[in-house]
Amino acid sequence: MTQKPPANDAERFLRLAKQEQRGRLTVYLGAAPGVGKTYRMLQEAARRQDEGVDVVVGVAETHGRSETAALIEPLEVLPRQRVDHEGHRLDEFDIDAALARRPGLILVDELAHTNAPGCRHPKRWQDVAELLVAGIDVATTINIQHIESLNDVVAGFTHIRVRETVPDNILDHAEIIVVDLPPEALIERLEAGKVYLPDTAGRALANFFTPTKLAALREMALRFAARNVDRRLADQLEISGEREGYVAGDRVMVAVSPGKGGARVVRQAKRIADMFHAPWTAVVVESGSARAVRGSQREQLADNLALASSLGASLMTVAATDVGQALVDHAKELRASQIVIGKSRRSRWFEWRHGSIAQDVIRRSQGVAVHVVPLDEADERPERVRETHPYRDPLIALALVAVTVGLIQFVPREVSAGAIDLVLLVPVILAATRLRMSGALWAAAWAALAYNFFFTEPYHTFDIYSTADIITFAVLALVAGVIGALAGRIRRQAETNAGVARLNASLARFAGLMGGLSTREETAQVACAEISGLLDVETIVVAMEGGQVTVRGNGKYPSLDMVDEAAAQWALEKGEPTGRDTGTLNASDWQFHPLKTSLGIMGALGIARPLESRVIRPDDATLLASLVDQTALAHERLVLEAQARQVDTLRERDRLRGALLGSIAHDLRTPLTAVIAATEAIPAEGAYAEEVRIARAESRRLQRFLNDLLEASRIEHGTIEPSWESVDLTDVVTAVLRDLRQDRPDGRVRTTIDADCPLVRSDPLLLRHVLINLIDNALKFSPADSTVAVELACEGGEATCRVLDRGPGLPAENADLFERFHRLEGSDRVGGSGLGLWIAKNFTEAVGGTIAARNREGGGAVFALALPLDGSEGSETDA
Amino acid sequence: MRSDVLIVDDEPAIRRLLTGALDRSGISHLEAGTAGEALRLAASQPAPLVALLDLGLPDRDGLEIVPQLAAHGLAVIVLTARDATQEKVAALDLGADDFVTKPFDSEELLARVRSALRRKAGPLADATTREFAGGRIDRDSHRVTIGDRPVELTPREFNLLWALADRPGRVITHESLLETVWGPAHRQDLDYLRVAIRALRRKVEDDPASPRLIVNEPGVGYRVAVG
Repeated sequence: MTQKPPANDAERFLRLAKQEQRGRLTVYLGAAPGVGKTYRMLQEAARRQDEGVDVVVGVAETHGRSETAALIEPLEVLPRQRVDHEGHRLDEFDIDAALARRPGLILVDELAHTNAPGCRHPKRWQDVAELLVAGIDVATTINIQHIESLNDVVAGFTHIRVRETVPDNILDHAEIIVVDLPPEALIERLEAGKVYLPDTAGRALANFFTPTKLAALREMALRFAARNVDRRLADQLEISGEREGYVAGDRVMVAVSPGKGGARVVRQAKRIADMFHAPWTAVVVESGSARAVRGSQREQLADNLALASSLGASLMTVAATDVGQALVDHAKELRASQIVIGKSRRSRWFEWRHGSIAQDVIRRSQGVAVHVVPLDEADERPERVRETHPYRDPLIALALVAVTVGLIQFVPREVSAGAIDLVLLVPVILAATRLRMSGALWAAAWAALAYNFFFTEPYHTFDIYSTADIITFAVLALVAGVIGALAGRIRRQAETNAGVARLNASLARFAGLMGGLSTREETAQVACAEISGLLDVETIVVAMEGGQVTVRGNGKYPSLDMVDEAAAQWALEKGEPTGRDTGTLNASDWQFHPLKTSLGIMGALGIARPLESRVIRPDDATLLASLVDQTALAHERLVLEAQARQVDTLRERDRLRGALLGSIAHDLRTPLTAVIAATEAIPAEGAYAEEVRIARAESRRLQRFLNDLLEASRIEHGTIEPSWESVDLTDVVTAVLRDLRQDRPDGRVRTTIDADCPLVRSDPLLLRHVLINLIDNALKFSPADSTVAVELACEGGEATCRVLDRGPGLPAENADLFERFHRLEGSDRVGGSGLGLWIAKNFTEAVGGTIAARNREGGGAVFALALPLDGSEGSETDA
Repeated sequence: MRSDVLIVDDEPAIRRLLTGALDRSGISHLEAGTAGEALRLAASQPAPLVALLDLGLPDRDGLEIVPQLAAHGLAVIVLTARDATQEKVAALDLGADDFVTKPFDSEELLARVRSALRRKAGPLADATTREFAGGRIDRDSHRVTIGDRPVELTPREFNLLWALADRPGRVITHESLLETVWGPAHRQDLDYLRVAIRALRRKVEDDPASPRLIVNEPGVGYRVAVG
């Protein structure tokens, strides 16, 4: 038993969160009309209203029954939307009003209803889906035969096929309440005229209400509800992490064929997938011969795939000549445990000639359950549409053989004698390369006959006497047949490959074009022109500009009409395909595909083809998806490039500012040097002693500012690169004291140095800078008659240099101390740029050390610089 | 009449400050604002003994004229910024005697100038003994005394001390010390030097934790203190 990969917690919570935001769907499920679903729904709604829920009736069909109407009475009813359709006025559910009203619970009767043309969605269940996404709880009703996957089964025994169906997945997370009524009671109600039936369907439906059929329908409804409960329980367990995904890792794969029967196979697969609680995949194999299938068959295939998708399958198309092998290979790849495949009832002769794909799959698959769905031949048999005259290939083959025979006549018999049989292979090979397989086989037959007729004794008869001639004839026929078949297959394969290659080439060309454009307008224009050309459709690109949908890329359509604009807006806002042939606003002439990127929706590509039934041929869908992706990527690239340019500009401006700062600081240094030297040359005595002292102190302060500014600009530009060398920390401390003129006996600094401290790998200049800052600060912040202690110690893999003062201490123990422009309270008085500690921190970190500050016991502050001892100290043996 | 010091700086303000300080100490001097002028004055007879050289000159890079000034017999003291380590090392390698970092303290500057003048005046050329702050080293007898106390050194420690004391007061770059004592192959092996200096300090310093005799110039080299 394979286990699913470890449950992804994040994914699970995301799903849970999604479900929490979504509205809850309650479905009142009945086995047949007349069981009292609407009545039950309204009863329940009244109860909820009493509980304080904000209940609104969106749609509730009373069918003129007064008990039902009485239940609606106390509830708020949303006005219907009036839709004019071919002279009729139809009342439809008003989704915009419902969204605007935002009730806590809305009742929308008859989930399977088809909306009048002109509404936003063609189906009511799509309205409901939108309400749920908007976070509104919905209660609705449905009869069992309207559920897509059960549609066939119901039609199978009632002989009534309902056209209005609801995809199963909308019910997946719904709470299902079965409104149950025993068949006898229902028939009683029917006879009492309590069941509303549309007049037209009256007789057919009456046929529906037999005790056996009702019992079967009732059983189906109960089973469906039970399965639903089961699944919801499983989901719950999965969400809460108590169960790991699908128990046995089951996966169902269904082979979708173009015939009408394909739909039946798809529905069966859905039921099997439900049974196993398994995900499922619908696979179409595009073989060379399937490519020849055209017209209605193609559309059926697309319909079957759409059905599978709406039932929750993931779709997959593969190209291969051997359909059976391709299916088995992909089943293996998907790790499918169940394969569902259709098999038509065909003659043994047909099967012997063509083989049966189902047989093939059963024979070749191992460890996989194969479910074969029997189909009627009428359902399945692909109607081959001949593009060419049926006699064309045999006639061309005949002509080729005739020409060859004619040419042989010109060659003297004694010369050609031994080679005739080989020469006759030439028309077969020619036919095989130029015609379809059947043409090649015809050529083989003609060649064999010609050999027999012209070149074996007796000549010009189909009789044959010589054993050697018989063998030659047989071998010729066999070789010609094999060559023909092989060449035909190769040609078919080549066609398939050529198709794929053409597709790839168009994509590559398109990507190349898109990569070279520099504005969004240009990108839109080229994308429109190219996609138009490739898919033979009209194209536009729409985007949101200042809250308005604007059209780009195609001058032919400067603006859109209202429906089109609504569809475009929908695609831009919701990021899903909208408009023609889609589930949303399909009254629009355009089909809009959102250009989705990691930066959001960049716009939407609109396509239209006025004169055809479908905007996009099914075999172009993949190409279109790729083209849309490429267009989106091109837009994304432009935005990212613009952002990068902006960053570059900012960086350049920053660099200039830094360079300017550096040069100013440098130019200030020289005059300042003179000022300092001059003030120090003046003796601080006599009447102006105080002024001289002030001048000295302030010029020194100015100099510190300048140095700090220069160091800060170096840090900001990331040009601090330590030059690593072996450093004796004693040397650094001694040099700093000398720099600060604290190395004299009258200095205020007292050192305690562990002379056995190992050497460290560091940058002596950066360290000196840090220590100058720390010690200078300590001197500035503490009273002039106090001493500053500097301690150097090495233990626990660290060298620590502590600077301790008796100043006012730290205002509070916070990390902000080492931030830029942070000044300690009262520091203005003593003077500081507010950069000193920030620089110290940056330099320390550049050499891999740490710096920290705390209050000292008994008053004052302690700054500690710690450096790692990496054990790379020099060997003492050298001494 | 011989002038003692040649001041080379393009900033008139700095020149005036330097001349003022030298005047007050009774040291005679010449001034040059460009490299060309400096070389002309250095070649005059009698030549000055010491050059105070600012490296930022308008006509040439100050470093370029260091070897020429040294060739004329001047002791070159370079005026440089504190963190300009590369510049200091380059100047010393090109033959400069010493450096003073800007902004300078006039007392320190005068001390360096006097020390350089003394070295120029003293007859050191072929003597086999050197004197430094409170100590003496004799190359012939391989004897070292600190105060009155004789100190026992290993041959390598002795060579190192001699390399430093050969030109007392002058900064000897790390590379130069390594090359002299360990050989050209070890120019980059700073670890050797650090360890040897420590060992040497334990023997010659009063307090090895705050050395006063063998002084380090971070990133540049060592010097032996004089007087």
